[in-house]
Amino acid sequence: MKNNKIYEDLSLIQMRAQVTFAIVVGVFVFLLLSFWKIQILDYQKFWKKSEANRIRQIALPPQRGLITDRNGKILVKNIASFKASIIRENCKDYDEAYERVARLLNLQPDVVKERVDKYKSAPLFQPIVVMDDLTHEEVARIEARKHELPELIIQLEPKRNYPFGAFASHVFGYLQEISPAEMEMEQYQNRRLGDLVGKTGVEKQYEHLLVGTEGQSLQIVDSMGREIEEISRTDAIRGQDIMLALDFDLQKKAEEILENREGAVVVMKPKTGEILAMASFPNFDPNKFINRFSPEEWIDLMNSPEFPLENRTIRGLYSPGSIFKPTMALAGLDLNVVNNHTMFNCRGGLIVYGQPRACWRSEGHGPVNITSAIEHSCNIYFYELGKRIHIDDISRYARMLGFGYKTHVDIPGEKVGLVPDPEWKRRVRNEPWYPGETISVAIGQGPLLVTPLQVAVHTALIANKGRKVTPRLLKADSGIPMSLPEENGKENRPRLSIPTSAFETVIQGMWRAVNVKGTARAAKVSQFDVCGKTGSAQVVSSEAAKKLAQQKREIKTHSWFTGFAPRDNPEIVVTLIVEYGGGGGATAAPSAGELFDLYRKKYD
Amino acid sequence: MIDQTQFRNIDWILIGLLVLNTLVGIAVIYSSSHYLPGNYPLKQLLWMVVSLIALIVFLYLDYNVLVTYSLYFYVICLAILALILVFGRLIAGTKSWIRLEFFQIQPSEITKIALILLLAKLFSDFKARTIPKREGVLSAALVFVPVFLIALQPDLGTALGVLPILLGAFILAGMNKRTLILILIAAVVVGAVGYGFFLKDYQRERITTLVFPEEDPLGSGYHILQSKIAVGSGGLLGKGYLKGSQSQLHFLPARHTDFIFAVVGEELGFIGVVLICVLYFLLLARLFLSVNSSRDRVGVYIIFMVAVMITCQFFINVFMTIGFFPIAGIPLPLLSYGGSSLLTNYLAVSLVLNVKMRRFVNI
Repeated sequence: MKNNKIYEDLSLIQMRAQVTFAIVVGVFVFLLLSFWKIQILDYQKFWKKSEANRIRQIALPPQRGLITDRNGKILVKNIASFKASIIRENCKDYDEAYERVARLLNLQPDVVKERVDKYKSAPLFQPIVVMDDLTHEEVARIEARKHELPELIIQLEPKRNYPFGAFASHVFGYLQEISPAEMEMEQYQNRRLGDLVGKTGVEKQYEHLLVGTEGQSLQIVDSMGREIEEISRTDAIRGQDIMLALDFDLQKKAEEILENREGAVVVMKPKTGEILAMASFPNFDPNKFINRFSPEEWIDLMNSPEFPLENRTIRGLYSPGSIFKPTMALAGLDLNVVNNHTMFNCRGGLIVYGQPRACWRSEGHGPVNITSAIEHSCNIYFYELGKRIHIDDISRYARMLGFGYKTHVDIPGEKVGLVPDPEWKRRVRNEPWYPGETISVAIGQGPLLVTPLQVAVHTALIANKGRKVTPRLLKADSGIPMSLPEENGKENRPRLSIPTSAFETVIQGMWRAVNVKGTARAAKVSQFDVCGKTGSAQVVSSEAAKKLAQQKREIKTHSWFTGFAPRDNPEIVVTLIVEYGGGGGATAAPSAGELFDLYRKKYD
Repeated sequence: MIDQTQFRNIDWILIGLLVLNTLVGIAVIYSSSHYLPGNYPLKQLLWMVVSLIALIVFLYLDYNVLVTYSLYFYVICLAILALILVFGRLIAGTKSWIRLEFFQIQPSEITKIALILLLAKLFSDFKARTIPKREGVLSAALVFVPVFLIALQPDLGTALGVLPILLGAFILAGMNKRTLILILIAAVVVGAVGYGFFLKDYQRERITTLVFPEEDPLGSGYHILQSKIAVGSGGLLGKGYLKGSQSQLHFLPARHTDFIFAVVGEELGFIGVVLICVLYFLLLARLFLSVNSSRDRVGVYIIFMVAVMITCQFFINVFMTIGFFPIAGIPLPLLSYGGSSLLTNYLAVSLVLNVKMRRFVNI
C-alpha cells in the first residue's frame, strides 16, 4: 500500500500550486509597479516631505521689552530661566518615560501625563514643557542623566521678572500661558502653545510692542532629534522697551500710603494726562503667575473676597460723596441758578420734599455762598442747588465733567461707572425717578458711581479750567503711539461749555478747603498751592446704617480726597480713596498731602 | 539517518537563497539600528547560525515521522500557548514570549510548524477534487484554536500570519464556488465583528487611517505616512546606505522590525527594491516549484503551505510599508529583526528540504 503512494497521481494539486505561483508572479509585478509609482513618479513630492522632516525649525523665543519709569528706572525686566520639556518622539515607552521624568523632577507621573495629553495634537518632535523655573540643582541632576533620558531636554528661556514684586502690579498686569481661545484670535496668530502672554495691564495693552520677534534656527538633527549642525539662524529681536509715565518714588509712596488699607491712588499730570502713580490695594506679585504650573494660587487670588487682582483705580466703583459737589457747583453757575453771591443759610438741617436732610455739621454753617460751601463741604447749600436743578441737567454736567464715560486710559478693563437719570431708572429698575433722589445725587450719594481714575480726570479738567485730558500710562514724549483697549469705542460726550470764571470760583473754594479752615486742610503743603476737595461717601443705605448703629458697630464711610497743585499752572493731580477710611479730611487728605509734598520736593 | 544520496539531494541552492536573504536583512538591520543600544545585527547573525543548525538537525528526522506525531506537537503548542496566557511574562504589551537563557522565543511562531505538519497529515489521504464540508470545518477549527489563543495575547499580527497556512491547504484541496463564497462571507463577517468588538482602538485606527492617512498625519496615520515618505524619497537610486534621513532621524517607526522594507526603499532606492524583490522572488519561486519534487501528497502539501505562508507574510509586510495594507505587526520574513520568526521560517524551509531530499527514497 505504501509503495503505491510513490506512484499516486499528484498532477491536480501540483497544477493548483503552479496556478497559485502564477498569481504570486502577478502580485510581484503589481508590487514593483506600485514602488515605481511611489519612488519614481511621486519622487519629488515625497523628497520634499522628507527634507522638511530632516531639517527642523526651532523657534527662538524673543525677550520681552523692558518697562521703565519716566526717569528710565527699570521696573520690569527678563531673567534667564530653565525649563524641562519632553520630546515624545524620543520616548521608547510613554508611561515608562513619564514615570522616569516624574521621578527625576519630583513630580507625580499623572501630572506629567496630563500635561503631555494637553498638547496631544502637537507634532511628536515638538518639546512639551513639563516643568519650568528649574533650580540649578534640578538642571544639574537632569544634565547628569542626559544620555539615559533622550526624551527630556532642558531649554533656556527668558523669563519675565518684576524686581519690585507687587510694586505697580495693577499697572503692569501679569503674564500667563496663552489660552486655546486666544490662540484663535488674529492678534495672537504668530504665537505658539505654551507661550506666555500679557493678560492684563500694560503687559496686555502693549503686548504687540513688548513681545518682540521670534527668531528661528534651522537645524539638521541627529537620530535622537538632537542638533548636529545649524544651517541658518535668525536671532530673536527683543521687544520694544516701554517708558511709562510712572514716577518710581511717587508710586512707591502711593503704595506705602495704601499699605494694608483697601483703596486706590491716582497721581496724574493735568496737562498731559500722564499717570505718575496708579496704586490699588490689595495687590499681587506678578512673578508668581509667570510659572506655568501654579494655577491654584491664581485661582485663590481670583476668588479672594478682597479682589486683589482688580485694579481699583479703573474698576473700583464708588459713590463720589462730597467730591461730586464741584460738579454741582459748576452746573449751578453755568445754568445761572446761583452766582458767586447767592447765599443759603445752613442751620444743620433741612426738610426737603417732606424728608429731613442733615448737614454733616449738626450746628450748621450759618450763611454760605458757593465758595464757602465748597470750602466747608456744606450739604445744605447743595440740597438747595438740588432743588433748583433738574436731574437731567445734573447728569448732563456730570458726563460733561468726566463721569459715566470711560477715560480711555491705555490699559484694558476700565469700567464706565454710573450717572443716573430718570431714563436709566425706568430702564433698569422700571420705576419713576423721585425728586428726593435728585437731592441725594446733589451731594454725591444715590446710585451715582465713579472710578478713582474718573475722579482724577475730572479734577484735572477743573485744574485746567475746562480743558479735557486723556489719562495715559505711556510717557507722553516716548515716541511710541498710545494704544487703546479694544473695548473702548469713541463716544460722543457732551461738549464742555462752562465759562472759565465758574471754574475759578470752584478752584477758589477748593483752595480755601485746603489752605484756610476747610475740610481738606490736612492736605496743605508749605510753599505749594494745593487745591482740594474731600469726600466721605456713605457705603451703606441709611436703613442698613441704623441697623448697624443699633448693633453698636462702627459705620465708616469711604474716605475720598481729590485735588491738584499748584493753583496756577497746575502740575499734579492727586486722587485718593481709602475704603472704610472714615472722613475724607481725616484719612485721605493728610495722605494726599504727603504725595503733594514728595512731588514738590522732587520736581520743584 | 541521512545517507549519501539524500545528502546529495539537499537543495543547496535553496539554503543559499535563504542565507543570502537573511544576510541582506542583517545589513539593513544594521543601517536601521546601529545607533540604538542592543546590537541587533549581531543578535540576528547569532539567530541565523542557531536557525541554520536547527534547519540541518531537523533534516535528520523524516518528514513522514514528523507528520505522524504532528497531533502531539500541535497539542503541546496549544498547551504552551494556554499556559503563557495565564503565566506569561508581559513583554512589549503582549504575553507571547518565553524566556530562555540567552534568547527569547515566541511559541506562537513555532506553532505554525506544528500546524503545517498537522494539516498535511489531515489532507494526505484526501483525493477528491474539492474539499468536503467535514474536512473543511475540521481543518478550519484546528487553525482557529491557536489563532484565537494568539490573538488573545494579544498579538494580532502573528495570529494573522497563521491564516495563510489554512489558505494554502484549502487552495490545494480545492474549493468549489460555494466554499469560496462561504469563506469570503465568513472573512467579511469576522472582520466586521472583530472591527467592532475585538480590535483595540489603535488597531481600529490603523485600519481607518489606511483609507485616510492624510487626515491625521501625526496620529495613527503617522506611521503609514512616514513610511511612504521614506520609500518615496528614496527615488531611483536611494539616499545611500546608512544615509536615509527618515530612518536615521527616527521619523520612521519600528525601522528594524516591521518597517525594514521602508529603510530599503529609502536608502537603496527603486534599484535596491527591485534587487531585493528579485532575490526574494528567486527564493519563493524555488519553494513553489519544489512541489514537483515531492514523491507524495503530504510533501506537496507541506511545501505549498510553507511557500504560501512566507509569500503572504512578505506581501502583507511590503504592501504595508507603502500603505496598501493596514499596519498589522507582521514582520518581513528573513529580513526583519526577530529570532522566533527567523527560526520558524528556517524550520519551515527545512521541511521543504526534507521533502525534496527524500523524493527518491523507497520506503
